[in-house]
Amino acid sequence: MSTTSLLVIAILILATLGYFLASKRAISTAGGDRRKLHSLPVYYGSNAAMFTAIPALGVLLIWLLAQPMLVERNVLSTIPDKLIPEGSSIGLVMSDVRRVADGLEVVISLGTMSQSETLRLDTEQTDIRALLAGVGAAIGSDVQPEVLEAAQNYRAQTKTGQLWMVLIIAPLALIGFALSVLAAKATFRARNTVERGILALLVLAASLAILTTIGIVFSMLFESINFFKLHPWTDFFFGGSWAPNFRGDSDLSILPLLWGTIYISIIALIVAVPVGLFAAIYLSEYAGPRVRAFAKPLLEILAGIPTIVYGLFALLTVGPALVRVFGRGEEGLLGLEWMSGATAVLTAGLVMGIMLIPFVSSLSDDIMNAVPQSLRDGSLGLGATPSETIRQVVLPAALPGIVGAVLLAASRAIGETMIVVLGAGAIAKFSANPLEAMTTITTRIVSQLTGDTDFASPETLVAFALGLTLFVLTLGLNVIALYIVRKYREQYD
Amino acid sequence: MNDKNIMESHMGTTAIKISARDVQVYYGDNYAIKDVSIDIEDKTVTAFIGPSGCGKSTFLRCLNRMNDTIDICKVTGSIRIDDEDIYDRRVDPVQLRAKVGMVFQKPNPFPKSIYDNVAYGPRIHGLAQNKADLDDIVESALRRGAIWNEVKDRLQSPGTGLSGGQQQRLCIARAVATEPEVLLMDEPCSALDPIATAQVEELIDELRQSFSVVIVTHSMQQAARVSQKTAFFHLGNMVEYGETGQIFTTPQDPRTESYITGRIG
Repeated sequence: MSTTSLLVIAILILATLGYFLASKRAISTAGGDRRKLHSLPVYYGSNAAMFTAIPALGVLLIWLLAQPMLVERNVLSTIPDKLIPEGSSIGLVMSDVRRVADGLEVVISLGTMSQSETLRLDTEQTDIRALLAGVGAAIGSDVQPEVLEAAQNYRAQTKTGQLWMVLIIAPLALIGFALSVLAAKATFRARNTVERGILALLVLAASLAILTTIGIVFSMLFESINFFKLHPWTDFFFGGSWAPNFRGDSDLSILPLLWGTIYISIIALIVAVPVGLFAAIYLSEYAGPRVRAFAKPLLEILAGIPTIVYGLFALLTVGPALVRVFGRGEEGLLGLEWMSGATAVLTAGLVMGIMLIPFVSSLSDDIMNAVPQSLRDGSLGLGATPSETIRQVVLPAALPGIVGAVLLAASRAIGETMIVVLGAGAIAKFSANPLEAMTTITTRIVSQLTGDTDFASPETLVAFALGLTLFVLTLGLNVIALYIVRKYREQYD
Repeated sequence: MNDKNIMESHMGTTAIKISARDVQVYYGDNYAIKDVSIDIEDKTVTAFIGPSGCGKSTFLRCLNRMNDTIDICKVTGSIRIDDEDIYDRRVDPVQLRAKVGMVFQKPNPFPKSIYDNVAYGPRIHGLAQNKADLDDIVESALRRGAIWNEVKDRLQSPGTGLSGGQQQRLCIARAVATEPEVLLMDEPCSALDPIATAQVEELIDELRQSFSVVIVTHSMQQAARVSQKTAFFHLGNMVEYGETGQIFTTPQDPRTESYITGRIG
């Protein structure tokens, strides 16, 4: 068992011990009378467990993240430049070093060699590659003496690091344990301390989500900057064609893709907004409680279908059905030759629209339910019919919220991937014909990054620039939508 | 004594506007109104008083069939307005509500301009021939709602931006604009401050010239101030109905006396 897992188990045992000791001690300082305690015994225990485990585990986590990086940096500086073969990088050499080092640890743990024997290894006398292959660690080429030396260095430093880790973290846990158990007296405000700990946990969770977003933006940003170093930004934003090829003179313009994205999204919204809105009006204004209890969850099942299933539906059902109507010449239903393949803007748009229906209807339904009943009563009391009431009072009152819902749906449509991958086709072009295949930003990101790719060419890096643009686009829509929805929410408070 | 005779003889000349017989209302399993029979006179303010949950608002809502909007509510018995049974199959509740206007407890202006709030009913019922006609209707309704002078310069600003008392008078003007024959008011002053209450009460007194007004109120002082007839409801029964002065000075039923002297509530 590794040092780290032993350490974690030790900390957890200590924390459990602290829990029982602290609650017992708290009761005994109160003379056995629970009512004299400031907090329930459980809080004294939790407080002790918290102070024993959390600082120690936190430092351990940071240590585990930081140590390999530091060791690697130290070892890297010892690797001579001549070791790096033509066309390779220092990263590849380093991964060899790591593999040799890990392999030697395995050799020891299997008992093939002792610790001191591995330290005396020499490339001249032992075939290290064969030795390591024997324990399941595959090395690409014969191990050079410098690599072996670096690996030994790596092992030594890792070992020292682990020793220090134990030497620092074990006392930390013990100090936390001792202090918190000693503090567990009747007057100690354990409840407040534990609740502050919980608050810290909540803050951590919230900031984690925000930090992740920032991290995503930055990773996209750096790759996009790399892309714009290799490819003119004027072509990306203002060029007219998308024609990647791996000879290096690609046209990589976002505009044809953006056109496809927007065109498909608009068709999707044309489908989803009226259907979703009408469904919402029926559910919130007309349906009785029994119909509502049955129909609303059923409609929301649509929202739970994985988008790849919608994609299959587009490819296998909707696309061929559209071809039967608009294509096939004499054999088709209308005798037209307008549509040749199942993948088309209309196919993807229709299916995406179906996907968005529950999204629009569910949000609009909530928004219409938020319109106060007193407004409906007022309108009905003036002799308006339910329909007039909906058209002239409920919908206008709910309109900002509905607009917000539609914008949220639009941003989902723009970011949707699987339906367009399967349903929209792969041809980037400007065309107003909805029966032609077109492509979107998301499908191009998928196709540029799948398969055998080299992460240094503009043809691959363009995916990040596309992704960033998409992100900015949907973020903008979401911000506007949320702003509108929030403004509307305040209206009735 | 003399005053009372004059009043009674005056009352005697007015016609019966609403006549309810043996009205029962059930909310699901809850028996909310039991055997209520009442004759409400035209051009009179009739007050319904009684403790909370006694059914006075429920009965009021029967008079314009607002209870139809509640699924579990069932009404039996007969309610006749101008000798026409309003629960008859041939009666369209929507038409009925145009004739029997309603003002609610909480001011509920639509999130529209002041003008559109008042023009709402006339537009729906096609009361105006043209824009100028509609302008006249809106102005006269706002005048009768005693709010014209306060809002005449900002007819296009939202009705929700007015103060509570102004909103309630706007709602009254809105109800008046459809030219109803009966005006039902469900605790119209309970959300208002004393000054706004006084304004609305004054307004109710003026409205009596043109309509039969039925008002539900928790305030006995208010009932005494604005109404000519008072009905006391208790636990779903109408206990006593008569001249306001008589109800408050010489109630016939011991329950009425207990209520107005504050012993039950």
